[in-house]
Amino acid sequence: MKSIIRRLTLTAAALAALTAVPAFAQNKVVLGVAIPAATHGFTGGIVFWANQAKKDLEKANPGLKVIVKTAANAAEQANQLQDLMAVSKINTLVVFPFESAALTKPVTEVHNKGVYVTVVDRGLTDTSAQDAYVSGDNTAFGKIPAEYLAKVMNGKGNLVAMRGIATTLDNERMDAFNGVLKNYPEMKLLDAKYANWNRDDAFKVMQDYLTRFKEIDAVWAADDDMAVGVLKAIDQSKRTDIKIVFGGAGAKGMIKTLIDGKDPRIQANVSYSPKFMYDAIKLTAEARLKGEKLPATYIIPSVLITKENASKFYFPDSPF
Amino acid sequence: MSLAVEFRSISKSFGLVEVLHGVSFALQPGRVVGLLGENGAGKSTLVKILSGYEQASEGDFTINGVAHRFANSREAEREGVVLIHQEFNLAEDLTIAQNIFLGHERLNGWLLDDRSMNAAALEAMQKVGLAASPETKVRKLIVAEKQLVEIAKAVSRNARLLVMDEPTATLTPTETERLFVLIAQLKAQGVSIIYISHKLDEVERVTDEVVVMRDGRFIARAPTCETTRQQMANLMVGRDVSDMYPPKELPPVAAPMLKVSGLTVPGWAYDVNFEVRPGEILGFAGLVGAGRTELFEGLLGLRPRSAGLIEIGGHAVDLRSPRQGVRQGLAYLSEDRKGKGLHVRLGLRENLTLLTLERYAHPLLDPRAERDALREKVDEFGIRTGDLNNRAASLSGGNQQKLALAKFLHADPKIIVLDEPTRGVDVGAKRDIYFLIQRLAREGRGVVVVSSELVELIGLCHRVVVMRAGRVQTTLTADQLTEEELIAHATGTH
Amino acid sequence: MPPAPTSAPVSGPSPGQTPGQSPAGASRLAQLVQQIGPLLGLVLLCIAGTVLNPDFATTDNILNVLTRTAFIGIIAVGMTFVIISGGIDLSVGSMAALIAGSMILLMNTISGSLGSPYLVVGIGIAFALLLGALFGLAHGLLITKGRIEPFIVTLGTLGIFRAYLTYFANGGAITLDNAVSDIYSPVYYGSVLGLPIPIWVLLLMAVAGGVVLNRTRYGRYVQAIGSNEQVARYAAVEVDRIKILTYVVLGLCVGVATVLYVPRLGSASPTTGLLWELEAIASVIVGGTALKGGEGKIAGTVIGAILLSVISNILNLTSIISVYLNAAVQGVVIIIVAFLQRSRR
Repeated sequence: MKSIIRRLTLTAAALAALTAVPAFAQNKVVLGVAIPAATHGFTGGIVFWANQAKKDLEKANPGLKVIVKTAANAAEQANQLQDLMAVSKINTLVVFPFESAALTKPVTEVHNKGVYVTVVDRGLTDTSAQDAYVSGDNTAFGKIPAEYLAKVMNGKGNLVAMRGIATTLDNERMDAFNGVLKNYPEMKLLDAKYANWNRDDAFKVMQDYLTRFKEIDAVWAADDDMAVGVLKAIDQSKRTDIKIVFGGAGAKGMIKTLIDGKDPRIQANVSYSPKFMYDAIKLTAEARLKGEKLPATYIIPSVLITKENASKFYFPDSPF
Repeated sequence: MSLAVEFRSISKSFGLVEVLHGVSFALQPGRVVGLLGENGAGKSTLVKILSGYEQASEGDFTINGVAHRFANSREAEREGVVLIHQEFNLAEDLTIAQNIFLGHERLNGWLLDDRSMNAAALEAMQKVGLAASPETKVRKLIVAEKQLVEIAKAVSRNARLLVMDEPTATLTPTETERLFVLIAQLKAQGVSIIYISHKLDEVERVTDEVVVMRDGRFIARAPTCETTRQQMANLMVGRDVSDMYPPKELPPVAAPMLKVSGLTVPGWAYDVNFEVRPGEILGFAGLVGAGRTELFEGLLGLRPRSAGLIEIGGHAVDLRSPRQGVRQGLAYLSEDRKGKGLHVRLGLRENLTLLTLERYAHPLLDPRAERDALREKVDEFGIRTGDLNNRAASLSGGNQQKLALAKFLHADPKIIVLDEPTRGVDVGAKRDIYFLIQRLAREGRGVVVVSSELVELIGLCHRVVVMRAGRVQTTLTADQLTEEELIAHATGTH
Repeated sequence: MPPAPTSAPVSGPSPGQTPGQSPAGASRLAQLVQQIGPLLGLVLLCIAGTVLNPDFATTDNILNVLTRTAFIGIIAVGMTFVIISGGIDLSVGSMAALIAGSMILLMNTISGSLGSPYLVVGIGIAFALLLGALFGLAHGLLITKGRIEPFIVTLGTLGIFRAYLTYFANGGAITLDNAVSDIYSPVYYGSVLGLPIPIWVLLLMAVAGGVVLNRTRYGRYVQAIGSNEQVARYAAVEVDRIKILTYVVLGLCVGVATVLYVPRLGSASPTTGLLWELEAIASVIVGGTALKGGEGKIAGTVIGAILLSVISNILNLTSIISVYLNAAVQGVVIIIVAFLQRSRR
């Protein structure tokens, strides 16, 4: 784990070095950013960090222009890609595809016209259309909580889990979680139901888990929004058997609780911050300004957040 | 080739209720037969069985000696039997041609052959005397024209036995004349016709023989020329109904209760003046489209008015909605019973008290008081219903009309406007309604009767306003009232 | 040609019997099933739930289910009026979210300057109800005076309300200050005489709704308008005013639901109230109200709402069906209940 943190620090240092490079060798870069509109906490964070990147980067680099477009669905996003090409004449694109399959073709078209394309988070079905791929680590997102829970529960106890919405991303997380649990035969996953990354649905599902299972030691809520609902449901039932509620993605409210130590059930979290949007734009912009290339795949690692390192993941200005 | 029909002890039950009890009689080919009976006598059910809309529970019928039981109207049409419904079966948003060919579309390969259908429709329309483009939407036609579309539809399907259920209920005298000419033509072409109507004068004129039904049974059959209207009515009702109209009583001399001057409803009525005095029955005659209904809808604020003064009891009033009308003591019963007069899906009680709910709200509604009121009105107006909890839809036409009258009179209006109060109502109920109207006048109310039945205006009214094309043509007094005079003014041939 | 008799025996059915209307004895049962269809469905579902997991029948679980039904149930009571009058409102979920967000923002803002947190909560509740009524009034005016189809008006506001909440929340969550939250939370979590407060409120709203629908002039007029607007207009009913009122009533119901919702999680986010409009409309229709208007039952609506939450409760309490098929089970149950109470026309 230390190595991961080191890698992060190194990246940060490298980034800092990049920004510091003066404006010689600067090309004119027009960078389009196409992302989903803010419809829930996570995408709200994506939008926030994209705009933050625009502000910071345009200030630091006079030769850079960043245009941010948000879309409510895949079709709108495809139209925006066309507009970015035709109207804004972009030569660099950072895209968070609304859906993998539906956006592959439109992005390919942009790429074929000579635009440098960085794809974020959801991969295209045809990877030849992308120059670089930046994403969060969904496997670690499921693996880290499982390893943490196994460690603090000494390899035995009863677990329940929440799932998000049926997607490949959710499946990757769940598979990684189950993969770790296989090594601990005495850790029992009682059930895993969908709660749609939604506080209200998580509240209901947790209430029903509490009715159904008399002994629960820990909950993997798999998302900080869902963790909010889970905690309220446990509070209402006045049950004391649940010792750990593990959320995920490092929402600022949960990180704050962790830092303040206000809730004994919140001991750890796993990072999957929408801030990777900021990093993706920054890495792309700076590589392009210098005429360099990014590595083909760049996974922003998910790391375990505990009280010790929590302050590094606390962004009070972000909405997420 | 003409069709001969023989019914062989046909019975029909709906659930436990048997409405036809072994009806047997025969019809000769190529004749016009008047089928008479009060509402609920089973005429409609019988012809629906004949034309495939209903199936007999027992018995069958033969057509030209061959026994048939039609599973649906298409099978009946294949044999040349077509029913024209009392309420039209037209798709309002389709064109005339599309309606005529509905379910029998002509194709050109995979595609509809509109040109051929429009041409054929036009031909059928010319046969029935309907002057319009076959591409006109049915919604845009007036009621009489819709009727002609129905007949054109039957003609285009080579009907050899045509059943007409109350075809003239919504027609004006001239349109009725045109229909009679058409019937004569069809008969000359060998088409057999069953003609159902409450209007005995028409039956007398147009039919060769009459068949009378009562309470789901065959009662009598006789050549029309040997039967008087009085005999027909007596056979239908099963008793003597010689006094259709109550004797007229002269209204007292008094100031007008309702005075209308210079009223204009743009597009429908222009510069209309009339007045109604207490105890008076004022008739409104005219052709369909003369603007009578629209005049009164304008009076109540249901249509925009552009000019005119309305005085009730000597005071000028500005009526913007029926609610204000009721407050001023003026009630209007629409000609469109199912569309504007009654909530057929609601119960009798809810219908009766709708105008006067404030009487039953303290502030919660008192259903018991409403039910008491209903019981009282059912007796007073002679509404025939099995169960007080029935929906209005379960009543026959005449009883629905009585309920509608009871509903609007429940508000105790000083002036009441009745638009076509006896449309689609059988002889017995008609007589009840005439006596009711006379009673209202005797109580000192002002009564306005809008009607297309001239006999009824002559029998009831003290004075009759005749309208033509939105303008008042003349106002006739009781001693001037004859059918000839009314028709002459209504058609502008005076 | 057969002989033409001139008379025949006269003895028909008793007067007043009308063809084709009186129900036959055989169909009495069908009619009964139709009337109690939703209740029957609910009972069968509860039996199934108990068999699958005995914990289903525990007091705690039943109270949980009823409490979480409260929001949808209360909104559905208001929706019953709108649907009976022949209208529809697609915006209720978004409206609830925007009211929740606005209410929290207001309470957070005034909690600094006002000393008493009770007063803050009181003002917040009053504000939520007022906002609901105002939104309803806007719907009613656009629909009657503006002559726009209710489907379109409320589809438009569905987007507008949720977009404004997302804007206020910056895409994240709007969270209630802790001090106020502590005072406010008993409104959801508290109990009176052993019943949680939301259940009391739902009962109260349902009883009041039933009385208003069946025993007041307003309720009668709503049914008359939905049954046939023209007839109602000709019968001197002020149609526009009554229709506007149905939307105001629904807005108020959404306000009440929101007042109960906010203390549960103490926050509003862009996912708040998502798809509530469909659940509310489904409750009304499953409960036996005709989507085309005219007639309906408040009790049916409440049973419909409970039925919908019981389905997901049972699915959560068992693992016999793949989680991927949850929505299919809900769909099947809804269709079966609708089949049981279908009208025989």
